[in-house]
Amino acid sequence: MKTLVLGIGNPIMSDDGVGFHVAQALAGKIKDENIDVEDISTSGLNLLEIIIEYDKVVIIDAVMRGEKVGKIYKLYPEDFSETVHLTGSMHEVNLPTVIKIGNELMPEKMPKEIVIYAIEVKTVDVFSEEMTKEVEKTVPLVVDRVLDEIK
Amino acid sequence: MKTITIDPITRLEGHGKISIFLDSKGNVENAYLQIPELRGFERFTQGRRAEDMPQITSRICGVCPVAHHFAATKALDKAFNVEPPSAAKKLRELMYCGYFIYDHILHFYFLGGPDFIIGPDAPADKRNILGVIEKAGLEIGKEVIKHRAYGQKMTAILGGKATHPVCGLPGGVSKGLTEEERYEIEEMDESCIEFAKFTLKLFDDIVLQNKDYVDIILSDPYTLNTYNMGLVDENNKVNFYDGKIRVTNQKGKEFLKFNGNEYFEHISEHVEEWSYTKFPYLKSVGWKGFKDGEKSGIYRVGPLGRLNASDGMATPLADEQYKRMYETLGGKPINSTLAFHWARLIELLFATERVMELIKDPEITSNDIRNPVGEPGEGIGVVEAARGTLIHHYKLDKDGLIDKANLIVATTNNAGAINMSIRDAAKGLIKNGEVNDGLLNMVEMAFRAYDPCFACATHTLPGQMPLEVNIYDVNRKPYKKLTR
Repeated sequence: MKTLVLGIGNPIMSDDGVGFHVAQALAGKIKDENIDVEDISTSGLNLLEIIIEYDKVVIIDAVMRGEKVGKIYKLYPEDFSETVHLTGSMHEVNLPTVIKIGNELMPEKMPKEIVIYAIEVKTVDVFSEEMTKEVEKTVPLVVDRVLDEIK
Repeated sequence: MKTITIDPITRLEGHGKISIFLDSKGNVENAYLQIPELRGFERFTQGRRAEDMPQITSRICGVCPVAHHFAATKALDKAFNVEPPSAAKKLRELMYCGYFIYDHILHFYFLGGPDFIIGPDAPADKRNILGVIEKAGLEIGKEVIKHRAYGQKMTAILGGKATHPVCGLPGGVSKGLTEEERYEIEEMDESCIEFAKFTLKLFDDIVLQNKDYVDIILSDPYTLNTYNMGLVDENNKVNFYDGKIRVTNQKGKEFLKFNGNEYFEHISEHVEEWSYTKFPYLKSVGWKGFKDGEKSGIYRVGPLGRLNASDGMATPLADEQYKRMYETLGGKPINSTLAFHWARLIELLFATERVMELIKDPEITSNDIRNPVGEPGEGIGVVEAARGTLIHHYKLDKDGLIDKANLIVATTNNAGAINMSIRDAAKGLIKNGEVNDGLLNMVEMAFRAYDPCFACATHTLPGQMPLEVNIYDVNRKPYKKLTR
């Protein structure tokens, strides 16, 4: 079984980079040759090209739901299904649409399981390599959750 | 009677939010699109090593990293006073065309095209790639994904990484092209040329053969008589990577032509109190508000802006299509906002043809790809991003560290025109305070034609950027809110 751990985030946009930082921390801890750790600063269709051919994908990303900063959510793609119609107004294609497209076009290559760890963040529109304190503190916690997830 | 105190709206914030202001009769007075402005860029870059700028700026935007990468690299060529070898310039342009291939395919099939392929009246949840697959068939869906991936592969071969290239250096590029890689790109591009032709045919069949669609394209709410801007080569043909900035007027005649490093002599930025976004305009014409016509300095960039600002395409098939577009839509310039879609597909064909020219150039596998840099100074780099003219301007200190950095991005260049297009689309749909249900669709079509880039952060998780239209009455009090 091939697993991908994928941190999504922009390391120069403050808290936006949390997924990136978690992936960086995990890269040094995971020695299993069946588990790849990657980070990307982009989204949309690029995701599809990255996740195909894996059996399981664990995504780490920032989210703003207006809850307590630093809160960690475990989510599944179906949690976002109600927002598919939003894609038309965004520049890129969102995760549920990406998965739907994959399932239509290449079902045999799509991962059987996708899990998302999302971290509630505060600041994503200021250029900085530093995250806010509340978000930075969650990095080791998310690292442990992901390590458990792929055990 | 209850007194309502209304705080003056100074700056409206929000991501991709549209605000419509009504007059006393309940008709549209103005409409604004707020594009989020990222903060702290100048401070962030100050004191950094200049040669890191192509990597840093390519992370600004998850959508057009290649454009930022090369605008930065070209600014560094100038700042370090070095001219790259001819082979390096060709490699950069080759990679740049790969970026246009995947970006323009994405826009047509995923973002802008579905309005036409599925129909402007179709429900929003059908007007996307899944709706396109449903209507056009699974095979087309596969072709779309395949050719977009080819464009990405081309940039990855040359750039080192698909999304955030690492190849651009002042004075050249870090990596040449092997014979195997050359062959691989050639094979992919043969297929891309056919796919570009197919896509133009699809546009022809679905859009141009449908009188209703052509009527929408030519209708008043989707027409703006602005100036047009784009990079051109020595023959005034469209070029994405290099050349002079040319501006044409409302009659399609050359109005200005200048080198990138003279941009501040010709372009000024207007500030509105409600927006962080600045509104660039032609200095010699002046800012006259959100108006079109020759007395207003507002101009358009992007696919239609580029084609209007040029005398043709530099490759044969694309040039044929160029002529056809102007014959079909009534000569130059074309002021129909929705013709951006057609122009974009002509550019897609051009990009694929240009890749073939470059890849067959014997010099493309040369190892002479970098020249030594000179003393650090000041530099301006200009490229055409998929969505329009992009300018990077850096001042370096004596140690080669960034002292000052300023960017004018494509969506900012189009900001004035986008606001007007939204206003005009809204005008037809709000009468005497009555809001027509079709408002969201028509307004969306207006701004989507420009392919504006709202998202410079990179979140994939939803819940962040719904389309939100806020309508305010004459007292600037919230009147109605539409969301999707």
